[in-house]
Amino acid sequence: MKAREVEGLDPAAPLRPNAARIVRARLDELRSFAPFALEKPASQAQHDMRIAAKRLRYVLEVVAPCFGPEVDAARSAAKRLQSVLGEIHDYDVMLPQVWGIESARRLLRERRERRFAEFVELWQAEAETWTALERSLDDHTFSLQKSKSGGGKEID
Amino acid sequence: MARAREVPGFDCEESFAETAVRVVEVRAAEVFAHSEGVLEIGEIERLHDMRVATRRLRAALEVFAPCFPRKRHRKALKRVKQLADALGERRDRDVAIEFLEGLEEEILEGDRPALAAMIGRLREEQAQANEDLKPYVAAKRLKKLRRRLHGLVGKAKA
Repeated sequence: MKAREVEGLDPAAPLRPNAARIVRARLDELRSFAPFALEKPASQAQHDMRIAAKRLRYVLEVVAPCFGPEVDAARSAAKRLQSVLGEIHDYDVMLPQVWGIESARRLLRERRERRFAEFVELWQAEAETWTALERSLDDHTFSLQKSKSGGGKEID
Repeated sequence: MARAREVPGFDCEESFAETAVRVVEVRAAEVFAHSEGVLEIGEIERLHDMRVATRRLRAALEVFAPCFPRKRHRKALKRVKQLADALGERRDRDVAIEFLEGLEEEILEGDRPALAAMIGRLREEQAQANEDLKPYVAAKRLKKLRRRLHGLVGKAKA
């Protein structure tokens, strides 16, 4: 899955507002998969969402110092999402491979069910984490804009 | 899994392009630092660490793409992706073998020979993936990649 293009980045502008744009884009991307990935058999959407979680996590890893502690919470949540979706993906890959080994198939199907339930629970539990992340991006970029140019935009 | 190294001098008020140089330099160094012993099949964590470092470098190159000359960036990213893919092919087999070995005790006894045969097939694939990986982690190839990344960073500095 190709990452979506982030509009309006400016290499000459400070890192922080550029980083905020990238994080927002990656968060939007992650959220866009949720309605599909929350359907139990939607293995492709779950795989895409795992990639989106990974992209968000890696961006946050780089730019964490530019924002508040909410970024650390979001990074941990993205890591947990990536991990549970990764396990689901492993079962999806393994299931066809153990074709004919019925006790193994049964075990993998049961485990996939459990991980899927964990994923749904995690996604619901972390809703506030993403909202807090957005708030933190807004707070840090807005306060900077105000202090530097009386409210003018830094990028664009 | 190895933690990402701190980026010295990282400053959120510095320009996006200057940060790009700092981050890519550190992430590239991490890849080469983890290249030792990755072909040893008995030590699968070594390959895992290099793969994670390669993914971090790839992520940095993607995040900071607008800061680099387009053509040089595209070529460098392509080489990093090729390395990541070759590492990934080996890693997939490492994980699958570990995973299936973990099932052995939990499945019915009568199913165990079939599982053992499957693990055997995966071991053959793992050995092939290791052979395929060899040229990508050869000293000469890594040196060339290092030079390419150095050149990319140099252009961004200029």
